[in-house]
Amino acid sequence: MLATVDSCVLAGLEARRVEVQADSANGETKFFLVGLAATSVKEARERVRSAIKNSGLAFPGKRLTVNLAPAEMRKTGSGLDLAMAVAISLAESGGRVLERSAFLGELALDGAIRHVDGVLVAARCLKKIGYQRLFVPAIDADEAALVNGLEVIPCGHLAEVVAHLRGGPQIAPKPFTDATLESTGSDVEPDLAEVHGQEEARRAIEVAAAGGHHLLLSGPPGAGKTMLARCLPGILPPLELSEAFDVAQVRSLLGDLLPGRPIDWTRPFRAPHHGISMAGLIGGGSGYALPGEISRANHGVLFLDELAEFQANVLQALRQPLETGRVTITRSGGSVTYPALFTLVAATNPCPCGWLGDPFRTCRCTPALIDAYQRRLSGPLLDRIDLQVGVRRVPLAELASEPRGEPSAAIRERVLAARTRQLARQGCLNAQLRPSRLRTLAALEPGSRHTLERWSERKGLTARGFHRAWRVARTAADLEGAELIADRHVLEALGYRLHDVAA
Amino acid sequence: MTSPPEISALNARGRWPPPDGPRVAIVGSRRPSPYGEAVAEQLAADLARAGVIVISGLALGCDAAAHRGALLGGGVTIAVMGTGVDIVYPAAHFRLAEEILGAGGALVSQFPNGTSPRRHNFPARNVTMAALSDAVVVVEAVQGSGALITAEAALELHKEVMAVPGSIFSPLSVGTHALIRDGAGLVQNARDVLGALGVGREVLDDPLKAPRRLGFELPGERDGILIHLSDVLTVSAAELARKLHLPISEVLGRLTSLELDGAVRRHGAGYLRALRRAKERA
Repeated sequence: MLATVDSCVLAGLEARRVEVQADSANGETKFFLVGLAATSVKEARERVRSAIKNSGLAFPGKRLTVNLAPAEMRKTGSGLDLAMAVAISLAESGGRVLERSAFLGELALDGAIRHVDGVLVAARCLKKIGYQRLFVPAIDADEAALVNGLEVIPCGHLAEVVAHLRGGPQIAPKPFTDATLESTGSDVEPDLAEVHGQEEARRAIEVAAAGGHHLLLSGPPGAGKTMLARCLPGILPPLELSEAFDVAQVRSLLGDLLPGRPIDWTRPFRAPHHGISMAGLIGGGSGYALPGEISRANHGVLFLDELAEFQANVLQALRQPLETGRVTITRSGGSVTYPALFTLVAATNPCPCGWLGDPFRTCRCTPALIDAYQRRLSGPLLDRIDLQVGVRRVPLAELASEPRGEPSAAIRERVLAARTRQLARQGCLNAQLRPSRLRTLAALEPGSRHTLERWSERKGLTARGFHRAWRVARTAADLEGAELIADRHVLEALGYRLHDVAA
Repeated sequence: MTSPPEISALNARGRWPPPDGPRVAIVGSRRPSPYGEAVAEQLAADLARAGVIVISGLALGCDAAAHRGALLGGGVTIAVMGTGVDIVYPAAHFRLAEEILGAGGALVSQFPNGTSPRRHNFPARNVTMAALSDAVVVVEAVQGSGALITAEAALELHKEVMAVPGSIFSPLSVGTHALIRDGAGLVQNARDVLGALGVGREVLDDPLKAPRRLGFELPGERDGILIHLSDVLTVSAAELARKLHLPISEVLGRLTSLELDGAVRRHGAGYLRALRRAKERA
């Protein structure tokens, strides 16, 4: 007998439909698996055989062929286990699978159904191509239930699934969870009210949050660069629904979603160590590439501490994503594109020992050493960072007497208002404005244009630097609710740049 | 101390031996504060105008400022090098070296041509600098600085040693203050140096008696950001905002505006009052 069951494999954020056909025919007792199965899928033979037997079901004592179609597409992963077992059981005993149903899940030897990565991604894609019902591991049902219009059947054990299909005891579908009704996550980030002093950096973070600008913090060890960076997500507005889905999809692919709480409204904050590889940061792996840190930081913050210590080629690879907000990676399996729209916060010491420019301690580096260190930072990457500020160390004894800052909640109000203005005006944040759009959307008062030109004349501003200051000035004006960019906005914007420290 | 080589034993490019006249070495940190750099340049310019030959080591920082100042003052200057005279170190000073030669100065070295920069050659070079000079002026030096080796050698060779005072908070002035404490002459202006050499008093203008003042009268600078800035130690924008009770965005803008006018400089994460440079003198 022949039975056909649908499933899918994932290629990045897309699901590719796979038809699992099982045929038991007379002949020598054997189990053939065909259809370009990678090793992880070939191993499924053993899992499926044991799982069927241990579920009290009959395994065909005949010549059994399982075909994974389309045959020319390479299949990886263990998500096809459940579909294979169901197909074999149905081929053995008869029974029909309902139309427009798909199966996803890994089998344990005892027939229990285990977690697979990417259930949310699969559910969204399968819904889109017309499926109405999805059998998923019970542990992953929360993910799939986020998709409206899809009947989600949580599967705990293979025996239950087969019974369900043969008209026995029915498994109750998991009802659709309306993500918009989920409560907003509590604020777990450090609050800016805990940062004493550092007014300049605080202001820069506010501007970065308001306009989506990338930010570089330069200062000695212990100046509080990490703390400042960690405060950024707390002054950003919570994720929009579509953004929250984007974030959840990437996490789902990596098996990183919390069971029971698949949707999280707080902005991601990723802080990879500087030893990270290219594949780790950008994304990679064999077959189809998996998302890297930059995609995990999508719609949130990517914090790179000790920027100069990162491998040069790893930093170079950041250029395309910084420019386009996504990253395309080609591996043997094919090309995949992941979103990577993040705010970059980079931190660096001004020199190898870290004390250059510190008013209390002397730097011990030779000029040549400082030069080499700063050269590692300069160039194309730095060119794309709109805001660059120095952070000073506040001696411990003076820390308590430094004024306490505004709490994050108050700053978030201003940031939100400024972002609303931008989105209403141009549909994107100021950081994403191209020079041509700057001219039409970010009008300068005559005086402020003069200042900008005078500066670029005197200080030799590059075209990129010119537009950088212009964009930041637009954000400063938006924070104030001003229509036109005034002189003071341009002057403030020009202040966010480092001199002789990684200039 | 290694004994200095004979003048005739030195390799030289340019005019050598140099023309007659008092010779003063101006030395200091390779990474001076803006104050130290301005002092070296100003002092060298004034001394050059008075006919003094300025000697220094062609290094970054104070040395380069001294050579530059001497050239601005229209004088002759000699670079005593720690490499062969055919190798300019640091390479960034190639043009400066050419200008020194073009102005009738010289590049000299006790090391054979082709000697590349070696750490242990520089102390010997410092001794040679002292030997070639009638007086040594140390502008800014941290403790253990190479400039102090020059000063020590000068003492042993019975040359005049002088030092420029700075802020007591600045680590760059620890070395110079130690010299002054030990009896080195205090240098406030070129006149002090000329006085110690016993030459050329009459050549100099009166303004050198008084301390130099900042040359800026800025329109709109009534609330006095500049008052709160120093020319040696950096002040952060945050500190200024607190002192002036202004929002940080405004202070940043005002500082940028002053920077645009040339009255303020950035240094690390802070700000300094810019000093008038020698060439901007009338």
